[in-house]
Amino acid sequence: MLKTTLAGLRAHKLRLLLTSLAITLGVGFIAGTFVLTDTIEAGFSRKFAAAADKIDVAVLPGKKDEPIVPRDLLEKIRAVEGVADAQGVVRGSAPLIGKDGKAVGDYPTAAVSIPRGRLNRTEITSGTAPAKPAEAVLDANTAKTRGFAIGDTITVLDSENAKHEFTLVGLFDVGIDQELAYYGAVGFTVETATEMTGEKGFQEIDVAAAEGVSAETLRGSVAAAVGSAAEVKTGKSHAADLAKANGADTKILTLGLLLFGFVAMFVAALVIYNTFNILVAQRTREMALLRCIGATRKQVFGSVVLESAVVGLLSSVLGLLTGLGLGAGALALLGRTGLEVPTDGVALAPRTIAVGMVLGVVVTVVAALLPARAATRVAPIAALRSQVEEHTFRTGVLRMVFAGLFLAAGAGVTAFAVATGPGEASLFMSMAGGAVTFLGVLILGPVMVKPLSAVAGWVPRRLFGVPGKLAVDNSRRNPKRSATTTVALTVGVTLMTLISVLTSTMRTTYGAKLDEQFPVDYMVQVQGDEGSFPRALAEDLRTRPELASVVALRRTDAKAGAQGAEFEVGTFTPAAGFSPEATTGSFGDLKAGTVAVGDEAAKALGVKVGDALPLTTTEGGEVRLTVVALFPQANALIPEVTVPHGDFDRYFGALDDGAIFANVKDGVAEENARKAVEAAAQPYPTAMVISSTELRGEFDEALDMMLMIITGLLGLAVLISLLGIANTLSLSVHERTRESALLRALGLTRPQLRRMLSVEALVLGVIGALVGVVLGTVFGWAATNTMTTGVIFQLPVVQVVAFVALSGLAGVVAAVLPARRAARASIVDSLATG
Amino acid sequence: MTITGEVGAWNARGNSAPAVVARGLTKVYGQGDAAVHALRGVDIAFATGAFTAIMGPSGSGKSTLMHCLAGLDTVTGGQVHIGDVELTGLNDKQLTLLRRERIGFIFQAFNLLPTLTAEQNIRLPLEISGRQADQVLFDRVVETVGLRDRLAHRPTELSGGQQQRVAVARALISKPQVIFADEPTGNLDSRSGAEVLSFLRTSVRELGQTIVMVTHDPVAAAYADRVVFLRDGLLVDELVQPTPQSVLDTLMKLEA
Ligand SMILES: Nc1ncnc2c1ncn2[C@@H]1O[C@H](COP(=O)(O)OP(=O)(O)OP(=O)(O)O)[C@@H](O)[C@H]1O
Ligand SMILES: [Mg+2]
Repeated sequence: MLKTTLAGLRAHKLRLLLTSLAITLGVGFIAGTFVLTDTIEAGFSRKFAAAADKIDVAVLPGKKDEPIVPRDLLEKIRAVEGVADAQGVVRGSAPLIGKDGKAVGDYPTAAVSIPRGRLNRTEITSGTAPAKPAEAVLDANTAKTRGFAIGDTITVLDSENAKHEFTLVGLFDVGIDQELAYYGAVGFTVETATEMTGEKGFQEIDVAAAEGVSAETLRGSVAAAVGSAAEVKTGKSHAADLAKANGADTKILTLGLLLFGFVAMFVAALVIYNTFNILVAQRTREMALLRCIGATRKQVFGSVVLESAVVGLLSSVLGLLTGLGLGAGALALLGRTGLEVPTDGVALAPRTIAVGMVLGVVVTVVAALLPARAATRVAPIAALRSQVEEHTFRTGVLRMVFAGLFLAAGAGVTAFAVATGPGEASLFMSMAGGAVTFLGVLILGPVMVKPLSAVAGWVPRRLFGVPGKLAVDNSRRNPKRSATTTVALTVGVTLMTLISVLTSTMRTTYGAKLDEQFPVDYMVQVQGDEGSFPRALAEDLRTRPELASVVALRRTDAKAGAQGAEFEVGTFTPAAGFSPEATTGSFGDLKAGTVAVGDEAAKALGVKVGDALPLTTTEGGEVRLTVVALFPQANALIPEVTVPHGDFDRYFGALDDGAIFANVKDGVAEENARKAVEAAAQPYPTAMVISSTELRGEFDEALDMMLMIITGLLGLAVLISLLGIANTLSLSVHERTRESALLRALGLTRPQLRRMLSVEALVLGVIGALVGVVLGTVFGWAATNTMTTGVIFQLPVVQVVAFVALSGLAGVVAAVLPARRAARASIVDSLATG
Repeated sequence: MTITGEVGAWNARGNSAPAVVARGLTKVYGQGDAAVHALRGVDIAFATGAFTAIMGPSGSGKSTLMHCLAGLDTVTGGQVHIGDVELTGLNDKQLTLLRRERIGFIFQAFNLLPTLTAEQNIRLPLEISGRQADQVLFDRVVETVGLRDRLAHRPTELSGGQQQRVAVARALISKPQVIFADEPTGNLDSRSGAEVLSFLRTSVRELGQTIVMVTHDPVAAAYADRVVFLRDGLLVDELVQPTPQSVLDTLMKLEA
């Protein structure tokens, strides 16, 4: 029996390869994920270890609420016996001023201290490290993008926004420090860094041991010296901890990617299941013959399972190789985008091999179990029948009952989740409902094929004449087969539709909220939204003729309520056309001695309109305010606790403005308005001008990016399902060799025969996509409604139509090879087969 | 049975010129040592409105001859004419269109598309060539083969004999210049076979159809107007107005 199976496998190498491809891709993706993240993790660990090699002991902040190491510890440590050198690491922010006179980037540049001697961990790539207070270095990337070269004078703001000039003496590499890479970094001597950042302590103190003193011994003596003021670790264990924290980040990446890998494997399982089902059906006669000559049911079952195991093994090996290639490719791509990923070749861990092999073989064999069982049902007598029976499909009662149960349960859970309202639990519930519904659809599939093919085939039937009609008939002649083939595609399309519904709904909702709550054209904000600028800026803006209204926002943190928890307390200067919406009460009542509270803060404080709210102020002591309005806090521009602006000055003194909103006068050109606002902001380097169109553009871009990445990752599942369509079709073509020959004899031309198969694939593709977009839309709707309040549902019509059209097209592409083969076959030879 | 005007006109297409003519037809499969000379120079003509049977031992080249005559296979040498069209030298598209317009087929088995009903199967050739079905002819043909109450059935719901009768009806409906049948009764019991054969003969007699049929069965051959005998790719004998006995005698003589 083993020999027969293997001989059969060898005889159909090509078919085997095509079947394997589905699993190969799935295993390849999962293995690739591991290869990628393992390699990154290993690279980071090595870099951390290399950096830690230079230091013997690291002194880290000890108390959670005070994340710095006290400065006076440095002298204490230097005095410890066995310490060769100790350096404090300063890190804070110090905005670099660009050539346009404004602070560069959306966030302030990071400032770091560059110690001298062997404890320096920064790699100076050109020039020298700063040695004097007036010298500074920049990270190479910032220097390049902002156009600074060694020898230039650079201007940097200190923590009080005062300008300081430095000579740029060198460039350095930020290495694996993602924070520095993201914000850009300027390096000073330790003293200058402390002055510039205004930091009250060190981020860490690095200690080098004297000759002959072990790191462990030194750790002990340093720890004894600093006591409980700080945490003391050896350099090695510090590096290990850093690598571990970093590993947690890669873990999220791994999990995210694996999710897509499992979707792909699920689709691959459907494809394998279908392929084996067809193969068993086609070999009915062969199996019956085996049974006739004495093979037992068990042997027939075993032969199919064995075949699937061989396929699984083969594709898993190929998959691992593919994964290695994918991982390397992804790393190369990451390297190209400028992201610093330290690697020393790709890592294929034993875990990757084990997971890949086991998953590949198990999924393939499990998917083939049902077809194998079907093979055992072949009666020996089937060997004697001449005409292969058409698979008439009858809708079983059991199938309807199960489909009904699943659909009802899925719909019920989802409806309940939507009715419950937004929240994490509801979101998960609606997604679980989606999964259950999908199972229902999977069971119902064969029943739906006929009506759906009527819908999907309506146009082709009329457009493509006889080939079109025959194709539509063929698409539903074996409903089970068609259903499984299309459901594989449905998985991908459903998820893609879901994501595009989510993004388009988020886009619309966000846009509407922006219009409603951010009815301003420009916002002037401090870089990084932390800090303030003088009131003169708003005064200047008010004098500009291009602007209609200017609102200034002032904020501080203060204790409020009976418990005395900290809240953001602030005010806004009134201006025509700027009136926040209240859910209860009214902003019109916001007079002296009153307060408006955001809904979430109100919940935390336990207050409603009419209640009294105690507030601890700096200038006016404890005051009792009357709540006159509650407002929706999500996306609100004003602080969660808002008092009238006259009161605010009395409570907290004349604080600077934290942000300014400006509206353009009707009829003023966009670029003129922008120039006016920018001119007013020019004297204040950290004042960033943001237009609402820009803001929306940025949000749109981020959404588009996300949509693209997710769609790309789901593309794999779609690709596998297309392989499934190609496989089903080529097996069907094989099955219908006689039929095709008959049609050719009766006068169907080669192009017509090809068109017939293309249309069949088109119909299958469209059926899969139709179900997918309906499911995706419904559950996209459910998901958005369980995510946040005030959702404005938006169906991405263009994308949805594109999904259906592209699926049809992809089906046609999948049919190219099978159709060519069918059309090329000689009529006479084909008539002789069977 | 009465002949309607329309069918009468078809019948009157004239018995003058032969429907199919082959001259010096050779067919070689394979090359070199492995070459099989399936046809070694066959000259033959099939009269319009006649029912001709081709007989011969297994492997004598009957099917090959039929495939070459019908434009299903290319010839190695010689010429084939269907009516006034020469087949050799036509490309696949032209051959396909010729089959569509002028030739009907009946095979031994797997004649019908399983997805279509009997009626749809009958109308298929017309649909493919985009011609309108002549309702009078359709009724007449359906009547002749006795399938009126089976039209809505699919092939799996029909007996083997009924399936072959559908195939006969399909071959007749497009009014082809010639119908080629390769062992049309090979899979049928003698009663169903006799039915199909008499339909074929009726269509020749009453509709003036030209039919060329390959068969192994002397009884089947006796339904024809003429029987030609092949051996080793050559035409070796022929009988006019055959009876089962005369056919059998000729066969015995050939095999001796
Ligand atoms: N495709 C082919 N390749 C090679 N040889 C072929 C091919 N088709 C037929 N032959 C050979 O050509 C010869 C004629 O075959 P053909 O099928 O015409 O015989 P036949 O008279 O129809 O026989 P049967 O009565 O068994 O159907 C045989 O020797 C056969 O082996
Ligand atoms: Mg033959």
